Amino acid sequence: MAGSNEVNLNESRSVVPLNTWVLISNFKLAYNLLRRADGTFNRKLAEFLDRKVPSNIIPVDGVFSFDHVDRNTGLFNRVYQPAPEHESQWGIIELERPLSTTRIVPVIIFFHGGSFSHSSANSAIYDTFCRRLVNICKAVVVSVNYRRSPEHRYPCAYDDGWAALEWVKSRPWLQSGKDSKVHVYLAGDSSGGNIVHHVAAKAAESDIEVLGNILLHPLFGGQKRTESEKKLDGKYFVRLQDRDWYWRAFLPEGEDRDHPACNPFGPRGKSLVGLKFPKSLVCVAGLDLVQDWQLAYVEGLKNSGHEVKLLYLKEATIGFYFLPNNDHFYCLMEEINHFVNSNC
Amino acid sequence: MGSYEQPSAGGGASSNGSSSSSGTRPAEMDGLLAGAGYKVKAAELHQVARRIERLENVMVNSAADISHLASDTVHYDPADIGSWVDTLLTELNQTVSLPCDLLELPDLPTCPLLDETTTLDNRWVVGQNDQSHHSLTPQQQQFQQLTVVTSMEENSGIRLVHMLMTCADSLQRGELALAGSLIEDMQGLLAHVNTSCGIGKVAGYFIDALSRRIFAAGTIGTGSSSSYCTGSPSEDEVLYHHYYEACPYLKFAHFTANQAILEAFNGHDCVHVIDFNLMHGLQWPALIQALALRPGGPPLLRLTGIGPPSPDGRDTLREIGLKLAELARSVNVRFAFRGVAASRLEDVKPWMLQVSPKEAVAVNSIMQLHRLLGSDPTREPAIQSVLTWIRSLNPKIMTVVEQEANHNQPRFLDRFTEALYYYSTMFDSLEACSLQPDKALAEIYIQKEICNVVCCEGSARLERHEPLAKWRDRLTEAGFRALHLGSNAFKQASMLLTLFSVEGYCVEENEGCLTLGWHSRPLIAASAWQAAPEYEVA
Repeated sequence: MAGSNEVNLNESRSVVPLNTWVLISNFKLAYNLLRRADGTFNRKLAEFLDRKVPSNIIPVDGVFSFDHVDRNTGLFNRVYQPAPEHESQWGIIELERPLSTTRIVPVIIFFHGGSFSHSSANSAIYDTFCRRLVNICKAVVVSVNYRRSPEHRYPCAYDDGWAALEWVKSRPWLQSGKDSKVHVYLAGDSSGGNIVHHVAAKAAESDIEVLGNILLHPLFGGQKRTESEKKLDGKYFVRLQDRDWYWRAFLPEGEDRDHPACNPFGPRGKSLVGLKFPKSLVCVAGLDLVQDWQLAYVEGLKNSGHEVKLLYLKEATIGFYFLPNNDHFYCLMEEINHFVNSNC
Repeated sequence: MGSYEQPSAGGGASSNGSSSSSGTRPAEMDGLLAGAGYKVKAAELHQVARRIERLENVMVNSAADISHLASDTVHYDPADIGSWVDTLLTELNQTVSLPCDLLELPDLPTCPLLDETTTLDNRWVVGQNDQSHHSLTPQQQQFQQLTVVTSMEENSGIRLVHMLMTCADSLQRGELALAGSLIEDMQGLLAHVNTSCGIGKVAGYFIDALSRRIFAAGTIGTGSSSSYCTGSPSEDEVLYHHYYEACPYLKFAHFTANQAILEAFNGHDCVHVIDFNLMHGLQWPALIQALALRPGGPPLLRLTGIGPPSPDGRDTLREIGLKLAELARSVNVRFAFRGVAASRLEDVKPWMLQVSPKEAVAVNSIMQLHRLLGSDPTREPAIQSVLTWIRSLNPKIMTVVEQEANHNQPRFLDRFTEALYYYSTMFDSLEACSLQPDKALAEIYIQKEICNVVCCEGSARLERHEPLAKWRDRLTEAGFRALHLGSNAFKQASMLLTLFSVEGYCVEENEGCLTLGWHSRPLIAASAWQAAPEYEVA
C-alpha cells in the first residue's frame, strides 16, 4: 500500500513484539501532538509527557549513576559506572583515582536520539539503555544532555557534544590502562548518531583521539528522495514528512537537506580523506526509511579510506534496542561489546 | 545471546516482555515497559494496542484538526498509556464504531469509575488503586537515591566527602573516638576548601551536625542536642519566611496545592480548608483571590489554621487569621477563621476542627506528614491515627507536599549519605539566588533540617522525609486514592519558575504528581488525594 497518509496498522504490528509496538506507537502519537505546523514545538507538553528517571548513587542491578552539572551552561552529563566490588564503597563517587591502572575500561560518550528535538539524558528509555550498555560492555557510559531544536538549532548539539568530549578526556578518574588515558568511544542513536559523526570529525581535525564511533540508525538525509524513503514512508512508525519537519527544526533557517550537517557526504560535504577518523560501527535497521542515507554514509566512509563495519538488521524497525525482547537487540549489543573491547 | 527474560538494569525483573501471558498473573505490569517509564498491565497490552490504533486512525488518517489536543486538552499521568490514549479519544468524541477490518468487540471499560469521570467532569482522571508503583523493583524503590554532582572537582572537596562518609560509618559502629578525630581532621581540611559555595559549604554543616552528635553522645533524644536542631516556633517562622523568599520550593508547593484545591472546590458553596501548618498563612491570599474571581462568585470560605501555641501570650494564629480576614473582606469573600494551637500534629483531634457535613473540605499538608513517622513502640504510629481521622472527614481533596528524599531509613549511614547528596543539591540551587538576607537565613533554615536528620533520634528526630513512592504506598493503604495533577498544573508551575529567573529549577511529572528539583534531581514532590470509596479499600 503506497500513499504516505494511509497508515497500514497491521504491517508494523507483525514485525515487533507487542510491548515494543505499544511503546513506539505511543511515542509516535505523542510526538505528533508536539510538532506544530508552523515549525514550533510544544516543549512544555513534551517535558510533561517525557518519562524521566533520577540517577542513583547506590547501585541497582550492578550499575550506579550520578549527574555532573556544568555550572556555566546548566547542562548535565549523566555518568554510569559498574557497581564497586564491595558494598562498603557504595555511595562514594570516586573522583580522584583512575578506573584502573592495569586494564583498559572503555568510556562511551552516548548521545541520545529524538530527532534533535525529543528526549533527554534522563529519559527513562535512555537511562535504561545506558545501564544495559554498562553491564554488557563493562564500560563507563557518559550520557550527554545536549540542547535540542527548534529552540537551539545547528550547531548547538554539536557544540555540546564537543564540550562533553573535552570534559571526558580531561577527567583523571575516567583514565584507565597502563597508558593512563581516557579510552573514548562515541555512540548515539538517531540524531545522536549524527552528532557522533560530527564530533568525531572535529576530533580528527583537532588531533584528539577517539577510539571508535558507534552509530545506531543515525539520522542523515538529503534533498533527493531515495528508494527506501519512498518505499517505507509511513509503514513502520515513521513518515517522511515528520523527518522533514525535524530537519527544518534543526538546520539553520532557510537551509535545505544538503546542508553538510544533514548530508556529510553530499554535494556540500567536507572531505575526510587523510584525517585520523576513528573506526565506525554503523547499525542500520532494514525497516527504517532513512536506510539509504545510512548506507550511503557507510560508502562515504569507505571511499574516504576509513574503517567501517556495517551491521544490517534486515527485519528491525527503529527503536528495536529500547526493549531487550528481540534477537536484534542481542546481536547489536554483542557487536558493540566486541567493538569497544577488542583492544583487551 | 541471553534469554529474553534476563533481568536488565532498571528494567524490573518481574514479568516477561512478550505478549504471551500464560503463567503471568493478570495484575502484573509489563516489566520491560516499566523500565521505559510506562505502566501497562501485561494482560491489557492487546487492549491498549487497539486503543492506540483507533487514536492513530483519527489523528493520522482523518482530516480532523487535532491541534487542540496539544493546546487545550489537559493531559494526566502519561505513564498510564491506556488512560492517556483514552483521554485523547474522549476529546475527539470517538464512539465505539470501528473500521470493519479491525475485527474486535467494543472495549469494556477496565475501571467503571474511569468512564464516569471522563464523561461527567473532564478534569480529574482517577488513578487506579494501585499496583502500578510495584513496577519499580523493591531495590529501585528503596535505593532511588539521587545525586547531582556539581563542583566536586577540588581534591580537598572530594577528600572531605570521603572523610564524612568514613566518620558517619565509624559513628554507626560506635567508634566514637575515631569519629571524633576525623571531625578534627575535617575541620582542618575545611580551611583549605572554598566554604562559600558547593561541597565546601554543605560539608561544613554536616561536620557541624556530626560533631554535635558525637560530642553530645549520651544526650541524644533527651533534648539538649536536639534543642539546637528544632529551635523555637518564632525563630522557625522567621527562618521559614526567608526560605520562602530565597528559593521557589515553598511557592511551588503553595501554588500547586492551591490549583488543586481550587479545582476540587468547583461547584461548592461552602468550603473549608484545614492547614496543618499555618505559619504566616503565606499560602492563602492567592487562594482567597482566586476564589473571589471564580465564575459564579466565591463560596463561603472557612480556614482552620493549625500551629504551635505562642509562648509569649500572643495569639499568633488569631493575628494571621485577622489579616487574612481583612484581605477576604476587601475582595468580597465571606470568610471565617479558626486557629487550633497544638505543639504536635498528633495532638489535634478531629472534633477541634468542627467540620460541618455540608462543606467541602480540603486538607493541606505542606511538609508536615513526615513528622508523624517517629515510632513509639508502645503505641500505634501517629501517622496511622492522623490519616484515619483525615479520611473520616471525607475531604474533597488532601494536598500533600513532601521532601523527595529518603531520610528515614533505619541505618544511620544510609540516612547520612542520602542527606549529604540531597542537601548539596539544595544548597547548590540556593546559590543561584542572590537576595540577602534571605539567602543567609534560608541556609540556616536548611541547616536546622540537616541537624535534625543527622543529630537526632527517637521522638526528637522530626525530619523523617520519605520519597513519593513510599507516600503513595502509605496513603493508598490508609484508604486514599490519587487525584492526578495534569499538564495544566505542570505548565503553570513551569511558568512560575520562569518568574524566578534562575536557570536550573525543573518541574517533572511523576505518575500524577509533580516534583520540583534542581537540574535532574527532584527535591520536593506535590500530590493530591481523596478518600477512596469503601469498596475499593482492600
